[in-house]
Amino acid sequence: MGGVIDAYVAALKRDLDFDPALARRMAEEVEAHLWDAAEADPSWPSADAERRAVERFGLARGIAGQFASDAVNRQARRSWIVLLATIAVTFVAMRLRVLWLADAGDGLSVLAPLLDRYAFVAAIGVGSVGWWAFRRSVVPLAICLAALVASIAAGIVRAGLFVDGAPLPVLLAAAGEIALTGLLLFHVVGFGRKLRRTAMLRRVE
Amino acid sequence: MLKGHLDAIVLAALESGPAHGYAIIEAIKTRSGGTFDLPEGTIYPALHRLEEAGLLSSDWTTPPGGRRRRVYALTRSGTSRLAEGRKAWGRFAKAVESSLGGGRTWAA
Repeated sequence: MGGVIDAYVAALKRDLDFDPALARRMAEEVEAHLWDAAEADPSWPSADAERRAVERFGLARGIAGQFASDAVNRQARRSWIVLLATIAVTFVAMRLRVLWLADAGDGLSVLAPLLDRYAFVAAIGVGSVGWWAFRRSVVPLAICLAALVASIAAGIVRAGLFVDGAPLPVLLAAAGEIALTGLLLFHVVGFGRKLRRTAMLRRVE
Repeated sequence: MLKGHLDAIVLAALESGPAHGYAIIEAIKTRSGGTFDLPEGTIYPALHRLEEAGLLSSDWTTPPGGRRRRVYALTRSGTSRLAEGRKAWGRFAKAVESSLGGGRTWAA
């Protein structure tokens, strides 16, 4: 006994592999549910009772798809919050660079502040449109991430031009924006992975 | 239509006390007179979502000689949300009744 229920629980666990902790929890919870349902069936103990319990429970892919969709919403919310924090810290870092670093006025030292500023403005523009219209899409977040990386890289080049004299607040702010950009990258990758998983579960469903 | 109100229905099923998933499904079936015969698995994403939102809390319990189960309970926020859900449903049901009842005329 238990073959039908065991196979179902294994399939559900596989479909929930985008969140291993959730997969383990649900496997145990759903298994208990299915045994309760099978034992309440008039034909218990029998494989038919197990089969009916599984049928009443619904397709494993469909249930995993609902979990995946909820996970996408949560991941989207977290990613946008991290983007907001990254933009705020990058803004502070930019202002500090403007206040503390004097431009030499030649070549790279002219280009770097421009890229620093306009890549940041592009991130704000794309981020605002994305927030209003494409909140569940990873594309605006990925564009913002690329723009912020460009802005931060330009800022580092700019600070690097003044290696001897770069003040501590400028360096600390740069470290903060690099750390937050790394966190944003982590969230954007996770968001993209969950979106792909949800789409796959919906296709097979 | 049921899907849109599933969260409130789940909260209402837990109003009488903590319960595990299977008991919640059974309570929903009983309370609806068998009308809400939804696939049982759909309750779990809803329970998880409500817990994430802080409307439910849950914990593993093992009754003596029984199976280990996750038991869900309403939180204070969940109780407030249920009351709000009831009010919203009351307004909606009244509006539908007025629209379909035929006893009233449309406002000019």
